[in-house]
Amino acid sequence: MTDPLYVQTLDLACGAFLLTGVLVLWRRDLAAIIWLFALQGVALGALIAVRGLHEADVELTVLGLGVGLLRAVLLPYLMRRALAAGEEGREARPHVSVAASLLVTAVLTMIAYAVSQPLVRLAPTPATQAVPIALTVLLVGFFVLVTRRRALSQVVGFLLMDNAITAAAFLTTTGVPLVVELGVSLDVLLAVLALQVLTTRMRAAFGGTDLDELRELHD
Amino acid sequence: MTLYAWALGLCLAAALVALLPTRAPAVLRPTGAPAAGGAVAERVRAATPTVGAITVVGGAVTAAAGALAAVAGVRAMLGHGWSAWLPDLLPLGGVRLALDPLGGLFTAVTGGVTVCAAIHGIGSGPARATRVVVPLFVAALLLVPAADGVGAFLFGWELMAMTSLLLVLAEHRERPSVRKAALWYAVMTHLGLVTILCGLCYLAAGAVGDGFDQLRVAELSPAARNVIFLTTLAGFAAKAGIVPLHVWLPRAYPAAPGHVSPLMSGAMVNMGVYGVVRVGLDLLRGGPVWWWWIVLALGALSALYGVLHAAMATDLKRLLGYSSTENMGLVLIGVGAAGFFAADGAGPLAALALTAALLHVVNHAAFKTLLFQAAGSVQRATGTRDLDALGGLRTRMPYTTALFAIGALCASALPPGNGFVSEWLLLQSLIHALPASGVAGAVTMPLAVGAIALTAGLAVATFVKAFGVGFLARPRGPGAERAAESPRTAIYGMALAAAACLFLALNPTLVLPALTEAVTEVIPAGRPVTGEVTLRLTTITGSISPILIALALAGAMVAVPALVGAVATRRVRRAARLWDCGAGPVSARMEYTATSFAEPLQRVFVDALQPESAIDVTAVKESAYLVRRVRFRARVPDRVERRLYEPVLAAAVRLGTGARRLADGSVHRYLSYGFYALTGVLIVLAVIS
Repeated sequence: MTDPLYVQTLDLACGAFLLTGVLVLWRRDLAAIIWLFALQGVALGALIAVRGLHEADVELTVLGLGVGLLRAVLLPYLMRRALAAGEEGREARPHVSVAASLLVTAVLTMIAYAVSQPLVRLAPTPATQAVPIALTVLLVGFFVLVTRRRALSQVVGFLLMDNAITAAAFLTTTGVPLVVELGVSLDVLLAVLALQVLTTRMRAAFGGTDLDELRELHD
Repeated sequence: MTLYAWALGLCLAAALVALLPTRAPAVLRPTGAPAAGGAVAERVRAATPTVGAITVVGGAVTAAAGALAAVAGVRAMLGHGWSAWLPDLLPLGGVRLALDPLGGLFTAVTGGVTVCAAIHGIGSGPARATRVVVPLFVAALLLVPAADGVGAFLFGWELMAMTSLLLVLAEHRERPSVRKAALWYAVMTHLGLVTILCGLCYLAAGAVGDGFDQLRVAELSPAARNVIFLTTLAGFAAKAGIVPLHVWLPRAYPAAPGHVSPLMSGAMVNMGVYGVVRVGLDLLRGGPVWWWWIVLALGALSALYGVLHAAMATDLKRLLGYSSTENMGLVLIGVGAAGFFAADGAGPLAALALTAALLHVVNHAAFKTLLFQAAGSVQRATGTRDLDALGGLRTRMPYTTALFAIGALCASALPPGNGFVSEWLLLQSLIHALPASGVAGAVTMPLAVGAIALTAGLAVATFVKAFGVGFLARPRGPGAERAAESPRTAIYGMALAAAACLFLALNPTLVLPALTEAVTEVIPAGRPVTGEVTLRLTTITGSISPILIALALAGAMVAVPALVGAVATRRVRRAARLWDCGAGPVSARMEYTATSFAEPLQRVFVDALQPESAIDVTAVKESAYLVRRVRFRARVPDRVERRLYEPVLAAAVRLGTGARRLADGSVHRYLSYGFYALTGVLIVLAVIS
């Protein structure tokens, strides 16, 4: 893969990664959010695969495909099943309105860029220059966790954070060891399965998955 | 070194023995035909040892470990020290062990206490957890004085703290108060560990390595040395039960099982003194005079405060616990005086003061081991530690009573007890300080002498009370009425400790040469004390002969009654009822109790103690002049605890309840705390960079 092509595809993948992350905050339709998450999974897989092709590292390329499969196909499939099992299709009124959320995202992006400057300066390659994007998506994922009410949105927020951490790992290094990545991916899968079970139970017990209803069990 | 290694190995072996599976004692076996299951099961049962056998073997092995450790310690004091470096045992720096005369002294004391406590423990049938943890506790106690590096020292110290905490907690099922005591102990001992950790790590950071040899040659600024000394002093003082860090001590001792309190009081609190001497006088090679003023002042304060509360206490073990605070205070007076004289250039006096302090450590270990064992026996026999409910044990527990009397005599620092010798040496060093040490010494030392004199006087009252009220007269409670003599092993353990007390009391001259080696290691100023039968001070005029005093006293005790018998007119003896002022027969309720015995003292020291008392008068409904019931309650609260600890605890509780409002149960709120904190930190980072 030639250098200009590498840079362009990498930037494209990172752009898609960021855009899908931000759009999660924009949409309130849960099905659309799952679609956006699947697209982000594709972007993440592509990002890793492009790096693998550039380094001519077969293992990294295969890993990119695997990560893409997990995050673009398997996890969205699980979430869609949870949705089909009776979840209301729309996000309840979030704690922060959509317009305000998008403004907050802009601020978070600026913070991420400002904070990661020292990191980028360490080794200014095209890949490390994309680290602020990963950091932005991490903060956006955290923001989703804080402001969205439905259990499924919480899952998506959590997975956005995890995507961002994976992206940062692959952007700053030439790939984490396969064992570590496998372990992380399995963890994520397990977390999603657990949350799915939890969502079902919550619906059975309370008739809804609005987390703000659950305040009784505090200390 | 082999002896020491064997001692540690035997401790581990004893812990392993206690872990073996056991079967019920043979008494409980059904006497009829063997149950279905037959011969194989019976053979397995026969191969499994009984609880009693395990206890005996474990106790014997622990006692053997203690004996070996005592021999190893004495050998080290006589100049057969050793050092070892085990680089692979702990990560980062390995384990450095060495036994020099100073460490040997404390190892020997620990070993001796262990022998007595282990023998005592055989008969008391301790719980399984106690059987396992006691040998480990002993191993930790042996490890601390033998540590020759910061890593090994802190490891031993933490092991000692953890195992002793487990032992304090051992009887939490039987008595709920144990949990609270253990909580106090856990907090105090671990705060102490933290300060010691900080101080020693700061010291090691200024040196090239963590070995004590490297620390001794470390170049440190005076400010750093001050910080190190003060932080470690706080930790060691907490372990030694020095006021104001003594609050755990009167709680933890009553909570611990009968044969564990001697180990804690006779061996563990000594480690606080060891730490002060090791760090202050050895590693930091003395320091400015004001360090030692602090030590001396803390010691004097503890001695007075401890003995006052001991004199007021009605719980036998609580009394002994406060008495430990008192004795450690006396030891710290000696250590402080030694540091003071050394900083002043008066080497021989410093050596004398330190000798007195270390001798008092040995003496205190001996008589406190004896007294705590006796207290444990009393508690087991009567089910109570309340002196007000005891009494009349002389006929029911004659051996325990006699042995407690020896311990009480030694603890009250009267001749011919062993406490007298060390306190006499201490007073000598302080009295002779006047010409040597300028204005500061001229003011401090007489005050210290006064404190010791007052302490000694109150200690006599305390132990007269403990012995007279607790053991003599008639029983005042149902527990004391039913009491029976303790098991034979318990008496052996006490007798051994009593023999050690008498040996130390009559022949301190045999112990002192070995002790001098430990002193000259930190203060090289020749031998402060010589003599074989008569103890002679080398640098100042003064001599004492404990054995002659004892003989004279014994002679007087024989001669005076004989004289009285010979001189007094021989009247015919008549048996008659005791005159009781016409108020009916004298009952046990009319005896002196611990509270009433201490009452005059309480009045004298009312400003210092601030006792609380309340009288509730319940009148008959029809008339206020007809009283149905009068209830009197009196309590002597620990003032330090009230003024210093309760406000802190109340503030912590307030903070906790206030912080509860932060947690209202909303998941989003909890998440947003994390989010705001993260973005806040990121913004700060961005602004800084």
